[in-house]
Amino acid sequence: MSTTKTVANRAIKARAKGTPDRIQKDIINANAIVDKKIVKNSIHHVAETEELSVADLPQGDISVPMNLWLDHKAELKKRGGIVAVQIAADEFPEDFSEEYAEISSIVLPMVSHVDGRSYSHAYKLRTRFNYDKEIRAIGDVKYDQLGFLTRSGCNAFELPEGENIETALKAFTEMSDVYQPSTDGGALIFSRRRAIH
Amino acid sequence: MYKYDAVDKTIVADRVEQFRGQVSRHLAGELSATDLAPLRLRNGLYMQIHAHMLRVSIPYGLVSSEQMRALAQVSRQYDKGYGHFTTRQNIQFNWPELADVPDILQDLSNVEMHAIQTSGNCIRNISSDHYAGVATDEIIDPRPYCEIIRQWSTLHPEFYWLPRKFKIAVTGATEDRAAVKFHDIGLEVVVNDTKQVGFRVYVGGGLGRTPVIGKVIKEFLPREDILSYCEAILRVYNLHGRRDNKYKARIKILVNAMGIDDFRDEVEAEWSHFKDGELKLHDIDFETMQAFFPKPAYDNLNSGDDRVAKWRDLDSRFKAWYDNNTVEHIQPGYRIVNISLKEHGVAPGDATDAQMDAIASIAEQYSFAEIRVTHEQNLVLADIREQDLLEVWKALDAERLATPNIGSVNDMICCPGLDFCSLANASSISVAKQINEKFNDFDELYDIGEVKLKMSGCMNACGHHHVGHIGILGVDKKGEEWYQLTVGGDATNNAALGTHLGKAIAKDRVGDAIGDILDVYKDIRTGDERLLDTFRRVGIDPFKEKVYAEDS
Repeated sequence: MSTTKTVANRAIKARAKGTPDRIQKDIINANAIVDKKIVKNSIHHVAETEELSVADLPQGDISVPMNLWLDHKAELKKRGGIVAVQIAADEFPEDFSEEYAEISSIVLPMVSHVDGRSYSHAYKLRTRFNYDKEIRAIGDVKYDQLGFLTRSGCNAFELPEGENIETALKAFTEMSDVYQPSTDGGALIFSRRRAIH
Repeated sequence: MYKYDAVDKTIVADRVEQFRGQVSRHLAGELSATDLAPLRLRNGLYMQIHAHMLRVSIPYGLVSSEQMRALAQVSRQYDKGYGHFTTRQNIQFNWPELADVPDILQDLSNVEMHAIQTSGNCIRNISSDHYAGVATDEIIDPRPYCEIIRQWSTLHPEFYWLPRKFKIAVTGATEDRAAVKFHDIGLEVVVNDTKQVGFRVYVGGGLGRTPVIGKVIKEFLPREDILSYCEAILRVYNLHGRRDNKYKARIKILVNAMGIDDFRDEVEAEWSHFKDGELKLHDIDFETMQAFFPKPAYDNLNSGDDRVAKWRDLDSRFKAWYDNNTVEHIQPGYRIVNISLKEHGVAPGDATDAQMDAIASIAEQYSFAEIRVTHEQNLVLADIREQDLLEVWKALDAERLATPNIGSVNDMICCPGLDFCSLANASSISVAKQINEKFNDFDELYDIGEVKLKMSGCMNACGHHHVGHIGILGVDKKGEEWYQLTVGGDATNNAALGTHLGKAIAKDRVGDAIGDILDVYKDIRTGDERLLDTFRRVGIDPFKEKVYAEDS
């Protein structure tokens, strides 16, 4: 089987698998928020480990680490159902620009909600690579992160067990105006004022 | 000054309600203390030794009389009747109750104030020159640029969870009073050969545990590009800054690790993707913003005032205040007045509710109802008619706000230290008092002249000790408070970090050690040399020998 191990610009920033920046255990949630609505969730997010192989993947809808996708893309594409691909906080979206046409949805696993790198990833995916399919934030993602993650380009979320997902929907309406552009159609405040003058 | 429009009001009001919701979810047990912590910090609320501390934003240090009264009211109603002005030109209240904070923020929003991003790992209050608009050496008024950056950086969704806090300063004058080389980003105005206004951009400066002088990342950035260039720097920092060790997470560590040239290349590459995009500013944007900072309606006056001149001869206290606390103004017949918050026996930067109310009234009557907060923890009345100086002095003196010690050893910068702060290793306020008591002879103070004395109670350097002409750092040695001294730091144009004097000094000897340093200076100075100049000429050794003479 041919692998696509050597993506042109990937070698520069290749990192060890299973670093603390990646999720350490599989994540399976019953519900998700997609486009601001609660839906049943079917995706099993597979953690990146040294031993991870295609043969070990669970049945059904999954998301896999980018490294697995790069190494076993052909096999993964033959599976039925959703095969989403994870971009970890310490990976760089520009290293995978040739992949996005083939990736049906992207998952941004957040090990800690105080780590803001995934916000920049989502922003770049939407603005620089014009990625218009689902971008889903998982992991340590709670009510108070949803607003800015949405502005930055995420449109789907899974909250950890124990979080009140109905209450969290309020996050989308908390702030009714913005000062700066992002991926959500917000305009720079000065250009709006310019239009009035 | 800047006035909120409907957008500003909506954002601040929504933000208050958002925080009210977070606090009530916390009090109802739905939001853990751990998860609340970064959210409350981004609303200025810390947990300190005894209680919460609320830091309210004063953008670039500019505050109206109405706002000052509101701050006084907060201190009366929710705190213990005083506030503490900070080196970031903000104000802190040391005793609010968590449950009251949403109401405090709502009260403040009524006078167009907030506490957004005054703490947490995000873009903090934009700081600037406290003499903006009135300095004789001003090239461009920095305030419109500060306000533009303030709005762009407020609740920026992508840069809310940075590796560490991020501070931006802007200066528009020849003399740098905003310490731009000690900020994560420092913008220094430059007008180029074709009269185009832009900025020299410094990056990666800062104090804290690892003091670093900022490096030039761009010699000339046209003013229309300030937001996009800042965004490029922030994005590179957000993605590449270290997150594994909070002491190595500031942008200065990243810039040093990459080297300024590689860092610049990375920023320029990032910038190229969107430099001519929607963040580009137009001339009209600057004009619109400048209109919020008009030249006040000055009277047409001549310089000098006979009555003031006469009183300077008659009253030595007035003369001392005039000579030390007032500064030349760009407009004939006006002077800049510094209000000293360094009264003997009072914690540096503290003001009572009554003092804040009085200052508000004095500003209203004599200075176009505006006050500035300086990064040296004093206040400024920027536009006082010379003919009113005597009345202003009397009014300030009645409130114990006319201590004639601006720029002297007694005009110390000082963090809250061990008395309030959970990070501190040693107390600062008590040492400040010790030094105050030692140097209580004003004639001697004036003879010594300008000495920037800056003290921090721990290596986080909130008191900017690295850039004090004399710096004092509190350290913990086996449970005892000791103090390390430095000499020769400078936060202005010739930026320099202080040189270590030697081993740490016991608490009760700090005042004597300062005395020794100043004795050496008085012995060997030539002409009009300040302590800093003498140090630059002779180095650390003569000071060291004297301070440690008893040990040898």
